[in-house]
Amino acid sequence: MNITRRSALSLAGLAAATAALSACAGTGSGTASAQQEGNGTLQFWSNHPGSSRDIEQQLIDAWNAANPDTPAELIDGGKNYEELGQKFNAALSGGELPDVIVASDVTWFNFAFTGATTPLNDLWESEGIDTSTYVETLLADYTYDGKNYGVPYSRSTPLMYWYTADLEKAGLPTDGTGPATWQEFAETWAPKLKEATGKPALTVADGSNYLDWYFQGAFWTFGGAYSTEWDLKFTDPKTIEAGTFLQTMVKDGLISVVKDSANEFGIGNACGLLESTGSLGGLKESATGDFITTYLPGPKPGTTTGGAGLAIPAGISDERKKIAVKFIDFITNTENTITFTQATGYMPVRTDAADVPEQAAYMDENPNAATAIRQLNENTKSQDYARVFINGGGQAIGGALDKIVAGQDVETVFTALQEELQATYDRDIKPNL
Amino acid sequence: MTVDTAHARSLPAAKPGSALAQQQLQDASATRARRAASAPGTKTTGKILGYAGMILAGLVIAVPIYFVVITSLKLRPEIYSDPITWIPQILAPENYTYVWQTLDFSQYFVNSVIITVTLTLVEVSLGVLSAYAFAFYRFPGSNLLFYLVLGTLMVPNEITIISNYALVAQLGWRDTFTGIIVPLAGVAFGTFLMRNHFLSLPTEIIEAARLDGTGFFRTLFKVVLPMSWPTLMAFILITAVTEWNQYLWPFLISDTGRVAPLQIGLTMLQDNEGLTNWGPVMAGTLLATIPMIVLFLFLQRSMIKGLTAGAVKG
Repeated sequence: MNITRRSALSLAGLAAATAALSACAGTGSGTASAQQEGNGTLQFWSNHPGSSRDIEQQLIDAWNAANPDTPAELIDGGKNYEELGQKFNAALSGGELPDVIVASDVTWFNFAFTGATTPLNDLWESEGIDTSTYVETLLADYTYDGKNYGVPYSRSTPLMYWYTADLEKAGLPTDGTGPATWQEFAETWAPKLKEATGKPALTVADGSNYLDWYFQGAFWTFGGAYSTEWDLKFTDPKTIEAGTFLQTMVKDGLISVVKDSANEFGIGNACGLLESTGSLGGLKESATGDFITTYLPGPKPGTTTGGAGLAIPAGISDERKKIAVKFIDFITNTENTITFTQATGYMPVRTDAADVPEQAAYMDENPNAATAIRQLNENTKSQDYARVFINGGGQAIGGALDKIVAGQDVETVFTALQEELQATYDRDIKPNL
Repeated sequence: MTVDTAHARSLPAAKPGSALAQQQLQDASATRARRAASAPGTKTTGKILGYAGMILAGLVIAVPIYFVVITSLKLRPEIYSDPITWIPQILAPENYTYVWQTLDFSQYFVNSVIITVTLTLVEVSLGVLSAYAFAFYRFPGSNLLFYLVLGTLMVPNEITIISNYALVAQLGWRDTFTGIIVPLAGVAFGTFLMRNHFLSLPTEIIEAARLDGTGFFRTLFKVVLPMSWPTLMAFILITAVTEWNQYLWPFLISDTGRVAPLQIGLTMLQDNEGLTNWGPVMAGTLLATIPMIVLFLFLQRSMIKGLTAGAVKG
């Protein structure tokens, strides 16, 4: 080694320069005051769930026509909930904050927990907003520490989709009953369908496409769970039993786990599909035959809800917050939630939507959409904390389920997952509760 | 698969292309050398091996691109058909019309062109000028300054994004071209690349030019740059492709379709929850790649011309 004094000094200088530059970055200039004034236009950051950009624009136009003094603007927040979260995080670092954001089931808690979004209860009271007609379970999903941090917007629930022709071939009921339990699915439905059609009975998306969400309810029906409140349950024998069930089904070719399950079903490569209600609109056009939808297997509750709500950043002025809360009320009111959900396949978030004749007629004409709405009242409960409240929980569980599907030992995988999420919880959440 | 990865898959069009071009070049010269040196018997074996290698390399590059092309022309059921079809049974050019109509494609395209052209011009000018200064002009602290520039090369973009965002937002540049372009314009890579190339040029020529009394810019444009075409073209190409494919920064800064580039527009073709029809996504991706392929073909000629136009003769 031949280090001259000169080169050593240069290296030191280089290191110092790098250090200095790195240090500059990341600090920002942080002038995000606690009371940001806006530019007079309400900014609604949305990722247009369910390809709803045009519908959202239509709702905003209606708002602008009714409220010319406080116009709103639709901003592209990203291609999915995660990107919108990123963009919002960037704005939190000192940029201009939006007035209303779309916050998904896995991002809203983190924002509420870190004080980035504001509780809505006082605003509802001061602005006289009636929240009694929201579907109670959907509204309750956004509660933390006794306060509401969001309002349901684009809410979905998993559904079972079945090709009518395949069910007939297998001699199974086509009246919308579906398998009553996962055991019935494994013993009767799946083998019959497989025998009659040669195709997997059911297809579902993989772990990077929310298998952890679709299959969450199945864990409950086995008596297991991801967690009970903050108490992680991955190593519970019942949870492991459910994981093993999934593994066996995949190994026997009865369930296929693919990246894009809606397309897999749409082109007829499987008899059934476990997917979000959000796919209803698209499948109506692309499916290769008539299909019906059924509840997820019980015992009830056999599944959960998901999708996104609307939240208000904490760092904007009270004046802006007041307008924002009115805007949220408007965009999710009975009439608009009907417009929005009929176009996308999401579920109406107001209970009185069903009383509107137009919606009643729609449900009569679209029994598949009606299944979703009825299931919401009968067959769902809120998600496990481990998936939605622990930062990165959903992704971690999805990754673990992928390993199980690939044939790794269920107990080993779940034990590792339990340790990983427990560590995250102990580090990030427990000290701040 | 997201648009990004789909795009990344189709993107290597330019890069492998250059590898292919190089390989062809090498193969050609290698065959020539062999032809001169070896007996006729070994000649054919070498030729066959050479062609086999070329075909293999070509296939590795061409098959994914071919797949993007045919997928963009297929209807949805056929895209997912099993077994896969290699020739679309029903041509579906409506994928392209769909992209054009739903996307406001021309707006995104124009935005992309504005951003890429401006950034390439600025980055290349800055890179060449600063490299020229660092390579040929001695001034106090020049080394320190160069190391400082190099230092910025070692800070990953991702680290500076948040602070840049805060600054740009405070300046009121969100949702403007200025906001997208200015923070991306300062890149040390060009300075580093061009300086090192300039230093490899024979000093005799520069000295001769100086003796002849050429000034600062005259030396740069008449002497130094003509000997640097291949490097400069490569630099321009890399810069243009990088900026054309920028996603994260324009995404953070643009709020509406007004200033957003194509790469962001493409995400509008995907559905958040539910079904994505890949035909239009592939069609959009392909349309977004074409300008870069054209640019490559265009610059490639200058690159090869530059390679053969030596300034110093044996």
